[in-house]
Amino acid sequence: MAINNTISLMSSNNISLKVSGAILVILVTLSGCATTAITEHAPNKDDPYENVNRVMYGFNDKLDDYIAAPVSKVYNKITPQFARTGIFNFFSNLKNINVVVNDALQAKFSQSVSDTGRFLINTTLGLGGFVDVATDTGLELNTEDFDQTLAVWGVPNGSYLVLPVIGPTTLRGIPGTAFDVAANPSTYLGMPIQLVSLLNARATAEGSLKFIDEAALDPYVFTRESFLQWRKNLVTDGKSDASLDFGDDLDELNSGDKKIATKSESIRKDVSKDNHKLELSAPLQ
Amino acid sequence: MNLKNLKLVLVFIISTLATSAVYAQDEEVATAKQVVEKFQSELIAVMKDGKKLGYAGRYQKLSDPISNSHDLTKIARIVVGKEWEKLSEDQQQKLTDIFIRLSIASYAHNFKDYSGESFGFDSEEETTRGGVVVHTHLVIPNDKPVKFDYMLKEKGSSWRIINIIANGVSDLALKRSEYTTILQREGFDVLMSKINEKIDSYSKL
Repeated sequence: MAINNTISLMSSNNISLKVSGAILVILVTLSGCATTAITEHAPNKDDPYENVNRVMYGFNDKLDDYIAAPVSKVYNKITPQFARTGIFNFFSNLKNINVVVNDALQAKFSQSVSDTGRFLINTTLGLGGFVDVATDTGLELNTEDFDQTLAVWGVPNGSYLVLPVIGPTTLRGIPGTAFDVAANPSTYLGMPIQLVSLLNARATAEGSLKFIDEAALDPYVFTRESFLQWRKNLVTDGKSDASLDFGDDLDELNSGDKKIATKSESIRKDVSKDNHKLELSAPLQ
Repeated sequence: MNLKNLKLVLVFIISTLATSAVYAQDEEVATAKQVVEKFQSELIAVMKDGKKLGYAGRYQKLSDPISNSHDLTKIARIVVGKEWEKLSEDQQQKLTDIFIRLSIASYAHNFKDYSGESFGFDSEEETTRGGVVVHTHLVIPNDKPVKFDYMLKEKGSSWRIINIIANGVSDLALKRSEYTTILQREGFDVLMSKINEKIDSYSKL
């Protein structure tokens, strides 16, 4: 949906396309200069286009700050919570068709049956999908998409990419999303309904976006890592534990940090003794 | 002594024995599972009093439980990866100290109140490198449960948490990417000031 909107928005106005293209070229060049001036480090193997991706991330961030966030704020104000939940459920229910298709493509046949049941229950008893009755009956929402199907078929995820408007994805995620957009009935519901879907999705994401702002030291890296790990977790259905063990690092660490450990221990005690001071003081240098 | 009193005395003796048994167990080596469960119950207790305690109170109350269950010194070292070797001893010390404060501050900020959450134990497994992973989940009323997997390593004679994986997202991996990127792109001082800003904003939000 988002792809369609972007493409139609861009092709409807050639001039703006050219202008934004020119701005993009300037930004990319600038960021290239800026970053090479600061550092010369080996690129991350998952993110060889980091410099361009960072520019895109910055662009999306501004787009969100100036357009999506304010619009979403108004939407939140005029739409009561139950309506937002209902709308979320409605689109999530339509997406179930994608889930069922991808279940089958990944040979998860029993899950495909329960997801079909979920769709039927929510479409009928759940009043066209607005009420999620199925979860209460024990038919949990599963997340399956074509990107996961491609992964199950053995396609590697490829480089991390940040696309304008759409946001984080990978090389494999592009055909993945294209397939899912084509298979999702809401794509064919027309512009106003798609707009509601976008608005509601942005409103639902508010909490996560706020969390990134609060927790991240480098929001770009934070988003990239959580996105890649989240996708990996979905592909392996939660059975991925490659990130559990940091054995190589730990082996190197077994000697030499005793002195620091003891010193830190005493500092920690000082800190906990004198907490109010810590809380009220300006950032320590 | 009538029968009722005798009963009371017996109850008292049994409960005293039971408590001392718990203490005895505590002094012995706690298993990885016990370390995690103790920490989770302390966390829930602070959440229950969260509003009353305020940020400073929560920080104070969580400081020991976090430090006693996590190996924060080791975590601080892992999150900067190979960059650790490039830091001076003074910088290593500063990083370790500030990392400990950040860890406690982020718990104090994120677990501020209680709305019926509870932790449940799922399973425990040993990793190939001599660690233990304790699989648990956080039950949140009217929401999907969140999987919390704790990776523990032995430190001296006790087990310490070195990584938490929430719904498949590894805290250690996430932090390591951030810290090494900032160190490589912007350097040690920027990393320190960013962490300081974070601690500061946690105390105010």
